[in-house]
Amino acid sequence: MAMRTGSQSSVSQQESIPFYRNVKIIGFLAQIIFVAVLVIGAGILYRNVTTALKVANLPADFGFLDNRAGIPISETPIPYNTNDPYWRALVIGLLNTLKVALVGVVLASLLGIVVGVMRLSSNWLVRQIATIYIETIRNTPLAVQIIFWYTAVLLPLPPRVSNPVELPGGVLFSNVGLALPWLYPSYRFSAWLPWIIAAIVALIGLYFFRRRQIAKSERPGNPWLIPLGAALVILVSGYFVAGADRSLPDNLASNFLADRGRGTLYIDANENDRLDRGESGAAYAAAQVRLEEAQLSTRTQNLTESGGEVYSIFRFPLVRESEVEEVEIVFADPADETRFSVEFTSFPNRGVIYEDRNTNGAFDEGEDINTESERVTGFGGVELLMNVKGFERTIVADREGSFRIPGFEAMQEAGAEEESSGGTTGRFGAFGAPSTSGDGEEAELQADVTLLESAPLVYSRAFIPVSNYEGGLRLTVNYLAILLALVIYTASFIAEIVRGGIQAVSKGQTEASKALGLSPYQTFNLVVFPQALRIILPPMISQYLNLTKNSSLGALAAYAELFVISSIVANQTGASIPVAIILIISYLVISFVFAFVLNIVNERMALVER
Amino acid sequence: MATARARPVKHTGVTGWLRENLFSSPGNSVLTVVFGTLLIWAIFGLLRWVFFEASWERIWVNLKLFSVYRYPTNLLWRPMLVLALTMGLFGVSSGVASRGEGKILVTAFRWIAALVFALTLVGLLFWESVRLLWLLTSVVTVLGYLWGRAQPGVVRYLSWAWGISLLVGFFILYGVTPTGPLHVVPAREWGGFLLTMILFTGIIPSFPLGIALALGRRSNLPAIKYFCIGFIEIVRGAPLIMWLFIASLLLPLLLDTDPNNLPAVLRAYVAITLFSAAYMAENVRGGLQAVPKGQSEAARALGLSGWQTTRKIVLPQALRAVIPAIVGQAIGLFKDTSLVFIVGLLDLFNIANTVANQPASLQVAGGIRLELSLFLAVVYWFFAYRMSVASRQLETQLGVGTR
Repeated sequence: MAMRTGSQSSVSQQESIPFYRNVKIIGFLAQIIFVAVLVIGAGILYRNVTTALKVANLPADFGFLDNRAGIPISETPIPYNTNDPYWRALVIGLLNTLKVALVGVVLASLLGIVVGVMRLSSNWLVRQIATIYIETIRNTPLAVQIIFWYTAVLLPLPPRVSNPVELPGGVLFSNVGLALPWLYPSYRFSAWLPWIIAAIVALIGLYFFRRRQIAKSERPGNPWLIPLGAALVILVSGYFVAGADRSLPDNLASNFLADRGRGTLYIDANENDRLDRGESGAAYAAAQVRLEEAQLSTRTQNLTESGGEVYSIFRFPLVRESEVEEVEIVFADPADETRFSVEFTSFPNRGVIYEDRNTNGAFDEGEDINTESERVTGFGGVELLMNVKGFERTIVADREGSFRIPGFEAMQEAGAEEESSGGTTGRFGAFGAPSTSGDGEEAELQADVTLLESAPLVYSRAFIPVSNYEGGLRLTVNYLAILLALVIYTASFIAEIVRGGIQAVSKGQTEASKALGLSPYQTFNLVVFPQALRIILPPMISQYLNLTKNSSLGALAAYAELFVISSIVANQTGASIPVAIILIISYLVISFVFAFVLNIVNERMALVER
Repeated sequence: MATARARPVKHTGVTGWLRENLFSSPGNSVLTVVFGTLLIWAIFGLLRWVFFEASWERIWVNLKLFSVYRYPTNLLWRPMLVLALTMGLFGVSSGVASRGEGKILVTAFRWIAALVFALTLVGLLFWESVRLLWLLTSVVTVLGYLWGRAQPGVVRYLSWAWGISLLVGFFILYGVTPTGPLHVVPAREWGGFLLTMILFTGIIPSFPLGIALALGRRSNLPAIKYFCIGFIEIVRGAPLIMWLFIASLLLPLLLDTDPNNLPAVLRAYVAITLFSAAYMAENVRGGLQAVPKGQSEAARALGLSGWQTTRKIVLPQALRAVIPAIVGQAIGLFKDTSLVFIVGLLDLFNIANTVANQPASLQVAGGIRLELSLFLAVVYWFFAYRMSVASRQLETQLGVGTR
């Protein structure tokens, strides 16, 4: 009884706790106060912002997104020009971010795994090199590494675009970037598309089928083998079936202007032989351009190449030896004609004009003409003319249907003209302007464009018609710089994760698999790595997220990713608040996607565990 | 029939070490030769470039710019005084630490002190205007260390001393009066390594903020909890460079003041502190989760209030467990101070850009970009690497992962 009354009294005591000491009420009050403070604070800030925006007359909503952006962007995964609206510029920024992030993630993983395994090598030297790499890269700011790659390595060191490094397989590398041969979907691609979808469906369906079959049969087997083979067979046979009919699309036309070296392949919907508004270019269409007789002109240049000054260099890009008929120099002063000679360093694309001082008939060091010390070449260098016969090239238009070759001129008799004008000024008028079509005997420049039928995929190889790459897959220096820095930086973190993951697999596992007679390679591949992967993947995914967020340092390499374009937009329009909201939401979405993947991985890993 | 067994392979001595570590198998030997050649070639090339080809003159000439930017030359004694103060206090702390726990602090201190001594030597030879101040810094460093060793009892005043010296240091740098020796040096004159270090101190206010956010995230009160979650996740979801940019645009709008009233340094500092606080909160939360529930239950059973339990039982254990993670975060923040270039601040990193674009630098054949990036890399690397070594030692000492 006494106990009961005691407990009763305690209950009644509890009930009589004054409200200011009741945890629940205090908590409730605290939250109310907190929310009130938040609301008041937010209200004050909101009032401040609205008045400030009104005073400065800045946009506070998203209406500005439809205005013309006028931001020149050099790297555009989707068609874009400066007349496009702001939102399109922002989308391109996002695509550029994804472009560097996705490639970076793959490359960083590969490099990171290699370095991480190197850190565990039985070879002391290899281990030390991996450690030096990690400790140096990890402890240096990414910003420093980006400017290192961009301003100190990629911009000054590589060869200029006038003299690119040509690697086997048609890879070109120069100070404007890297160009790779690439396969592009042609106009026949849509015929192949159902086959691709069928292949994917077959791959997934067969994979699940095989997996269940293997699980039922209780025998080891690879569930990927048959599905991959089937998918490949479907893809290849589909390619041939779709490629059997290669007829050109209706009304495919070309408006090539031979004298400008530019043209567009387009679908001439209204058949008026003109590229009108609303008519679209034929993406990646192939054509053969043929010029019977034409003339190329160029001027000698003095420039810094691979760290050194070079003088009186000229080049005729893209011309083949068999096509050259004649090369002629046009001097401002005819007296120079006897003084100077031409030597091709690689005929017929590149050469130098020199003064044969030691009369050995060949170009020696120091014999090139320096415009700074010698007046002879005049402003703008010496002009050279090359007559070309039977110039023929297969070109693949870009995604907007346009293509480019060197700008040819109609063939003319430069020598005869010189005589007619008295031989004093050559082909030049008083102000150095070329006296074009002065005497009427100039032949019309004839160019034939033959449209080529193509298979679903068309092989495009890069070349340099004038001063930039054309065709192929082009990676700019800016992209390469940010990619290189991100990959090398992130790989140093991934390497440590990989090392930790592998070391965390208990030694007994290795010993047991060795005892079972597995080779070291099998031990690593079948026993250690699958277990390590479980530990490695979650932190690795957060490194992928870091890489993506770090790509916002693109500004340092002038790479137009999301943040760079947003900051330009914000500065141009003054719409700092809408832009800030767009930025925050974009990055949050990216983060959430990674978090989502991470959760799936964690779940899968947990399933694998038991 | 017994055959003679081959002589056992030697496992000791130089040849033994070489055989075991470099030439244990044909594959390994190939690796050794290939990587050895590459390494020798790289080191040789680097040394040749550093000593014969690179031109370091522009960096040497601009050292003042790199260290303090436009801080008035006649007031250089002020940053130097702050340095001396910091080094003295660092010395005392390490001296105290050398007597008991915290050997890691001593290792870090030795490296920093060695750097100070080296700079003193260079200063004695070349920098006339700050010669004595460098000497003073060195002397204070040594005296501080010796005093700390002799008087380990001062440990209980140390945190106060650091707090006060931080304030004093700020006022010495910024100034207090409109005129006179302590006249105000506006923040736009700050730059170089000084600014990098000032921004780095943004991690200090982020401590209490981060702890508060971490506790808030674990709170039972939904309003507070979701606010903290929202803050932490949104801030961590976007890169620091974006927050710096947004802070520099939005802070004047949010406070409805003229942008000139809010120095860029302050805006960047706010962004760095808040950003760092969000990451700190996640680190602290990891520590809080690692503290067994029995600890707080026992504390409550002993009659401690909720606040007391957190303050005296849970937090000390949680923070102790996450020291390595916090050091790791400090390294990240130190490197990330270089991002303030986006708001036009001239910290160490951005000064390099300025120097590269000086007319005299542009005249150097081949440019000095390579020299500059190497110089920057070495400076940042020195501090970041010391911190990362300390963090690793701490991890072993605290036995994280083994308990």
